[in-house]
Amino acid sequence: MLKDNLTKALAPLNLEKVAEGDYAKTGYHLEVAALPAQLPDVAQAMLAADCFLESFTAVDLNEAFDLVYHFASFDELCRTAVHVPLGKKKGMPTISHIYPGADWYEREVFDLFGIHFFNHPNLKRLLLPEDADFHPLLKDFGASQGND
Amino acid sequence: MTELLGIEEKTYTLNLGPQHPSTHGVLRVILEMDGEFIIKAEPVIGYGHRGHEHMAENRNYTQFLPNLARVDYLHALAYNQCYCMAVEKFLDLKVPERAEYIRVITCELNRITSHLLWFGAYLMDLGAFTPFLYCFDDREHLLDLLDGLTGSRLTYCFFRFGGVPIDIDDDFVAGCRAFVSRLRSRWDDYNNLVTKNVIFINRTRDVGIITRDQCIKYGITGPILRGSGIPYDIRKSEAYSAYPEFDFEIPIGSKGDIYDRYIVRLAEMEQSCRIIEQACNQLPDGPIMAEKVPKRIKPPVGEVYQAVETARGSFGMYIVSQGDVKPYRIKLRTPSFANMSFFPEMAVDNLVADLVANLGSIDVVIPEIDR
Repeated sequence: MLKDNLTKALAPLNLEKVAEGDYAKTGYHLEVAALPAQLPDVAQAMLAADCFLESFTAVDLNEAFDLVYHFASFDELCRTAVHVPLGKKKGMPTISHIYPGADWYEREVFDLFGIHFFNHPNLKRLLLPEDADFHPLLKDFGASQGND
Repeated sequence: MTELLGIEEKTYTLNLGPQHPSTHGVLRVILEMDGEFIIKAEPVIGYGHRGHEHMAENRNYTQFLPNLARVDYLHALAYNQCYCMAVEKFLDLKVPERAEYIRVITCELNRITSHLLWFGAYLMDLGAFTPFLYCFDDREHLLDLLDGLTGSRLTYCFFRFGGVPIDIDDDFVAGCRAFVSRLRSRWDDYNNLVTKNVIFINRTRDVGIITRDQCIKYGITGPILRGSGIPYDIRKSEAYSAYPEFDFEIPIGSKGDIYDRYIVRLAEMEQSCRIIEQACNQLPDGPIMAEKVPKRIKPPVGEVYQAVETARGSFGMYIVSQGDVKPYRIKLRTPSFANMSFFPEMAVDNLVADLVANLGSIDVVIPEIDR
């Protein structure tokens, strides 16, 4: 089973957490927590298991960011969520050389959150105009204090 | 421009869009050309960025519901369904069987409208005008049917947390049956006009081939993935809603070229017809709303990822709740975003004439990429 194979493949990486998920409740089969520097290795392990990067985004938790990578597989129903805590004003290693599809996801996160990705080949704004000087999904972005 | 892209001088830059009939929305592609060949393609997106994810953070769960239809206006009901299912997962709501059936029927009708529009628009991209008239004639019947039930032609906001607000009647079921038999009587026309058309075959066979490896690296899903021979369909793999109760197949291609994608989409419409037919025959009686749906939607602290199969591929919603009436964060994983990110690799080393054929075969909906 893919879930067990992934658990085995991730074991040597000494990740903070590799646990079974509650699919009925969250939609995850495997929940993983990793440090920023460990992420390229995690991505490599996922690619070796023929998983694809389903989604990647960030969540602004005010004091830090939570980066969330979702991996899934075409062959077997197994969704892995990888959470990476990232301090504000810290950068993140890119995985676009492992998953070229991550290129746009990382650009989007850079665009909307201002998170820098080291060694990204083309890190510039994706959705907003090039001359924008704000990152709208940060919680302290002005328009968030709109009316209810 | 050339200095910006760092390219030798004997090439030239060709700008496609943002206003161009074959980009199906507002998409710009900067092309670096060597004669008729493309040596670099860089899509510029974001012209239709409305900030849906940001909007989600400053309104409550119910208020965000109409936004979803505006993300992908061609398969709005699948987006409705994904969001409703995600919130239902949070609240642990059990949707009544009849409501699930109504969701499946309307979603599949909507999928057919999307594929029909692709069919017409794509052939128009390739220079064939007549098929457009045929499929829009068929599509119009469907839009009338859905309009009668939901009250809108395109941007449906029909599902609710816990079920559907309006029950379907015998007239609607009869309308579905009539449409299915009408569409089936048209397959011969479609096949004679297009599928067997030698000009069409020559323009699409062995063009724009996508391999399994590329699908994995870019997260490509939907008819493109299935055209490349991988039978991945979330309706089967995650078996959500009432889909496990129906007998249908996942059409796949063999080569992964444009022609295969075309065949897959055509076959998918027939499979949708089968699902609709079975759902109409087995339609159970009963309530259409779950009991005890809270007036104030306030999910517990936690997160949910929900995926559905839309006409373009895997649409996922990642919702983070901090126990508030507003979502803390909603991420929309849209299929065309991932599919489009592969486009530069697909376009390179091809003729500029194939660019439009390639772009159209992805079936992009730009507002869905831009969100």
